[in-house]
Order: sequence, then structure tokens, then C-alpha cells
Amino acid sequence: MAPASTIKKLTDDGVTADEKAIGIWRDSFDRLLKNKMAVLSIAVVVILFFFAIFGPYLTPYDFLKQDLSIRGQPPSADHWLGTDNLGRDVLSRVIYGARTATLVSLLVVVLSSLIGVVVGSISGYFGGKVDFFLMWFTDLNMAFPNLVLGVVLAVSLRPPLSRWMEQMYLSTLNPVFRQSSLLDLALVIVVIVLVAWCPYARLLRSQVMAVRNYNYVLAARALGLPTFTIVTKYIIPNAIGPVIVQMSAGMGSAMLTESALSFLGIGIQPPIPSWGNMINEGLRQWTSAPHLLMAPALVLGLMTVAFSFLGDGLNDALNPRQWKG
Amino acid sequence: MIRFILLRLLRWLPGVLLLLLIVYALMFYGGGDPIQIMFSREATDLFQPGNPRYEALKDKMGLNRPFLVQFGDYVWKAAQGDLGLSLADGRPVMESISAAFPITLSIALAATAIIALVGIPLGVIAALNQNHWPDNLILGGALFFWGIPTFVIAPLLMVLLCLQFPILPVPHGWTGVFTVNAIIPLTVAAIRPMAIVIRQARSAVLDVLSEDYIRTARAKGLPEWVTITKHALRPVLTPVVTQMGVVMTNLLAGSLLLEIVFGIPGIGRLIRDGILNNDYSLLLGCVLVVLTMVTLTNLLVDISYPLLDPRLKQAQRGDV
Repeated sequence: MAPASTIKKLTDDGVTADEKAIGIWRDSFDRLLKNKMAVLSIAVVVILFFFAIFGPYLTPYDFLKQDLSIRGQPPSADHWLGTDNLGRDVLSRVIYGARTATLVSLLVVVLSSLIGVVVGSISGYFGGKVDFFLMWFTDLNMAFPNLVLGVVLAVSLRPPLSRWMEQMYLSTLNPVFRQSSLLDLALVIVVIVLVAWCPYARLLRSQVMAVRNYNYVLAARALGLPTFTIVTKYIIPNAIGPVIVQMSAGMGSAMLTESALSFLGIGIQPPIPSWGNMINEGLRQWTSAPHLLMAPALVLGLMTVAFSFLGDGLNDALNPRQWKG
Repeated sequence: MIRFILLRLLRWLPGVLLLLLIVYALMFYGGGDPIQIMFSREATDLFQPGNPRYEALKDKMGLNRPFLVQFGDYVWKAAQGDLGLSLADGRPVMESISAAFPITLSIALAATAIIALVGIPLGVIAALNQNHWPDNLILGGALFFWGIPTFVIAPLLMVLLCLQFPILPVPHGWTGVFTVNAIIPLTVAAIRPMAIVIRQARSAVLDVLSEDYIRTARAKGLPEWVTITKHALRPVLTPVVTQMGVVMTNLLAGSLLLEIVFGIPGIGRLIRDGILNNDYSLLLGCVLVVLTMVTLTNLLVDISYPLLDPRLKQAQRGDV
């Protein structure tokens, strides 16, 4: 430990930028691997992605297949997590729920961080009134419960979206537009993106404000490069680090919001399984068949906890200045 | 002082109005025809567009006026305590809300008390044992419970404490804060936002411990516990209080969900009813209540902030 820290102190000044960049990333990676909870969380997340991609091909039963002769069975050798009140295999449904949760949260994280990066870089680079208004709005948005805004959005965007899908069907006759599961997915993703982009914007803004006054940015400006090039080529790549950390926490909270909306009955609708709507269904008979409630609840809890430990580990690893103590 | 409060109000009021405008517009343009929702159960075309009775009713309800006039009317009436009629059962929305609000408020207040009484000491203990096992345990626990969604931990606790080890009765409905039934809901409400307070209290104590006056107190030979209780703990409250707005936001979001799990007839249940019945006027009323609660908490934080930290008295005179 002791020699490593002396080396670090020495390299702080006397190395070329290239070597230093590699050193920082390697350093962060090493620090992340030392954090046992973070490593465990990475393992859990990898398992989630595995089941989200390959799960439906691995399960012995179809997640939609009903068999009323075996309904409401407790866990057994045939059905590891039992069957629900329509005789569907709970394990298959939980595994398909991984696909729903992963699809929604990945798309939400990508789209909301994109919006956040655009808004944040505009706000941070131009400053002034634009910045004031945008940050006032994001502050406001972050001060109120996401869930309540999400409920309002989901309830009021569903009718126009379904009207639009019906119109698209009539004009193209493409049966895709008649799939209600697609409507649910699109609605949930749009709603969560609309409530989730603000933290990214704030984060990128503060980074951009620091980076925009660096010498190489001033040099680029002096060379007369267009603003768009300066922002996209010189500022954003050097400001994006904390956004990546936020994306991990964002995965967890997107997953949480998706299942909360589905739990409230305005997200993913049955029969398509989402952990949220499975918890809601399980809650109706939790005294007689607790396994219907426990299975999706435990899996969802495990996932969101893993993402929050991973986000914490990434934060410690990439921002050593905010290190504990 | 009054000028200070007014200034702070000016900071929040336009925002609240803007959010309300957005929500109103969403429901106005997206939500569907209120009259058709009201009479959706009756299989008659009396209340379809084009029918004279429909048009008469639409006129009477003022739905033919321009959007901004209707919004202004809503805000004006809401300020006087009239939130319109429910689309589902025709009762005044204010009536349902004034029955439900005290329950949600008492959950929020009781949970805030629990959060402060348990969270601050835990944060202090963590800071005093920095990087040792109590610190790791408390921080890890806070992160763990922060990660679990309310509607996951609520049913899990219920299964564990009422079914597996039946030591508590099944909590259903609401009998008051100081009853056995409230134990599980209040625990669930408090446990997630507590993480914010624990972390804030911990870093506040760590900041204070590195101050010069603590070193002075230690150097002059004060016993460690006197140093901690008399000098280190006093300034801890201020940073914790600044986070109360965030705590309230999370508390409300959680309590909406846990009300549904435990069948507690609060604002969360009203929101659920509003969703089920497409009852937009009820939903709008609930949103207004949530907006007001969060805004008031933030205002109280803004106002109490200079009272807790004399160095900020300057700000109170209005030079903000």
C-alpha cells in the first residue's frame, strides 16, 4: 500500500496526459474490485442481463400458458416457485419479468441521459437566462415526487397514445400497432424518461461549467471552431464521467418506477408479466398464497439493491475525493 | 422576517403554478371528455357529443370556455377551498381529500419523528466510528433499505411478521398513529428516507470534528463525551434540516404506495381510486395536495434555516 501511494503522489505532476488517463481508469477499476458489495452487485446484474436475454428460451413453461387444473399450487419440484391462480408457472413469469424490467430500464437510462446531456450542455455552456430557466425547472421537477408526476403522465398520455397507435394501424395496416403490450412499453418508457432526465442535466451542467474554461477549450474557440464541435468534441467527452455513475443508479430507479407504475395498474398490464403487476396480483391473496407475492418482491428488491450498491461503488471508485472520510 | 417569507414564497409559487398548469393541461388535452367519463356507466347516447342534453351540460359545466379561462377558474376556486366535483361519484373532491389528508399527514409527521429520532443518532454513531464496523454496518444498512422499493418491503414485512412469525395483527385500515396496527406501516414509511438523514448527519459530524474549536476542546483536556455532546453535536441539526424537503418528497411517494398495500384510506388510496375510475378532478386535487405539502416543507426549511444557524441571520433580512 505504502509504495503505491508514493508513486501516485509522484505521478500527479510529472507524467504525460495519456499515461495519466489510463492510470486514472485503472485506478478506479482496481478500487471498484476492492469493494466486495460492488463486485457482488455486478454479479447480480450480469445474471439479470443473462436471464433477460436468454431467460424465455430456458424456462420449461410458457409464461402465458394457463392450466386451470394446477392453479394456485405452492412451490414443488415441477414448478419451483409454484403456480398462480390461473395455473401459470410463477418462475417462468418472474424470469420474463426480468426481460420487461431490463428492457424498460435500459431504454429509459439511454434516452433520459441523452436528454440530460443535451439540456445540461446547453445550460452549462451558454449560461445566462437559458441556464437560469432550465435549472429552475429541473430543481422544481426534482423537488416533487417522481411517482406522482409519473402517475399523472401515465394516466393522461395513455388515451392519446392509443388513439395514435390506432391511427397508425388504420393507415399502415401493420398489426404491430394493435399490440397493447407495445403500447404499454412505449407509454411506460416515455413517462419514466420524462420524469428521470433532470438529475443527468444538473450533473452534466456542473461538469460543463468546470470544463468550458479549460485552456484547450479556449484554444478551440480561438481557432474559430463552431460551437457545436467544441461542445460535442471537446467538452462533453471530458464532462461525461459522473453521468456514467448516475446511469447505474438510474437503472435501479427506472426499474423501481416501472414496477411502481405497473403495481398501480397504469404501467405494464397483465398478462405480460412485470414484477410490479405480479406483486399487485399477489397482494390480493397474500395470506393464502404468499409465494405469489414473495417471488417477484424478493427478485425486484434484490435487483434494486444491487443497482444501488453498484452505483455507490462506482461513485467511490470514480470520485476518490468524495471517499469515505 | 415577513419580507423574507414573502421572498421565499415568490421563489416557490410560480413553480407550483407552472407544475399545476402542466398537470392541468395534460389532463385537459389527454384525459378524455369529463362528461363521457361521468356517464360512462349508463348505456345511453344521451350524453354523447351532438346530443342537446350533452351540449347543455357541457355549457353548464363551463367546458366550452377556453383552456386558460378554465385553468384560472380552477386555481381561483381551489384557493377558496373548492376543488370541483368528482367525476366518479359527484361528491365534492374537497370532502374526500379532507377525510383522507389527516391520515396521510399523520403518517408523514410520525415517520418524520421516527426518522429524526433514529436516523440522527445512527449517523452520529457512524461518524464517531468512521471506517470501523459500526460505520460500515450503518452505511451499508442505509444503502440497502434505500434500494428496496416501498411496495416490496411492505408486503415482505407483512408476510414475515403476520404470517411466518405471527407477532403482529394484520395491519389493515387506519386506527391512529399510536396503535399496534400502525407499527408496520410507520416502519416502512420511515425506513427508506432515513438513509438520507443518516448520511447527512454522518458527514455533518465528520465536518465538525475537523474544526479548530473541537481541537481546542480536546487540547484543553475536556473529556471526549463532553466534547462530543457540548460542541460537536450542536451544528449537526442544520444540514439535516436542509434535507427535510427531500425527505418529505420520498416520504410522500412511499406513503402513497404503502397506503395501497395496507388499505389505509389516505391520499394514496384516493390517487388509486382516481386512476381506476379515470376520475381526473380527484387526481388533480390529490396532486395539488402533494404539491402543497412539499412546498410548505421546503418553505419551513427555508425559514428555519437562518434560525438554526446564526451565521445565516444575514440572509434572513432579505439579502438573498
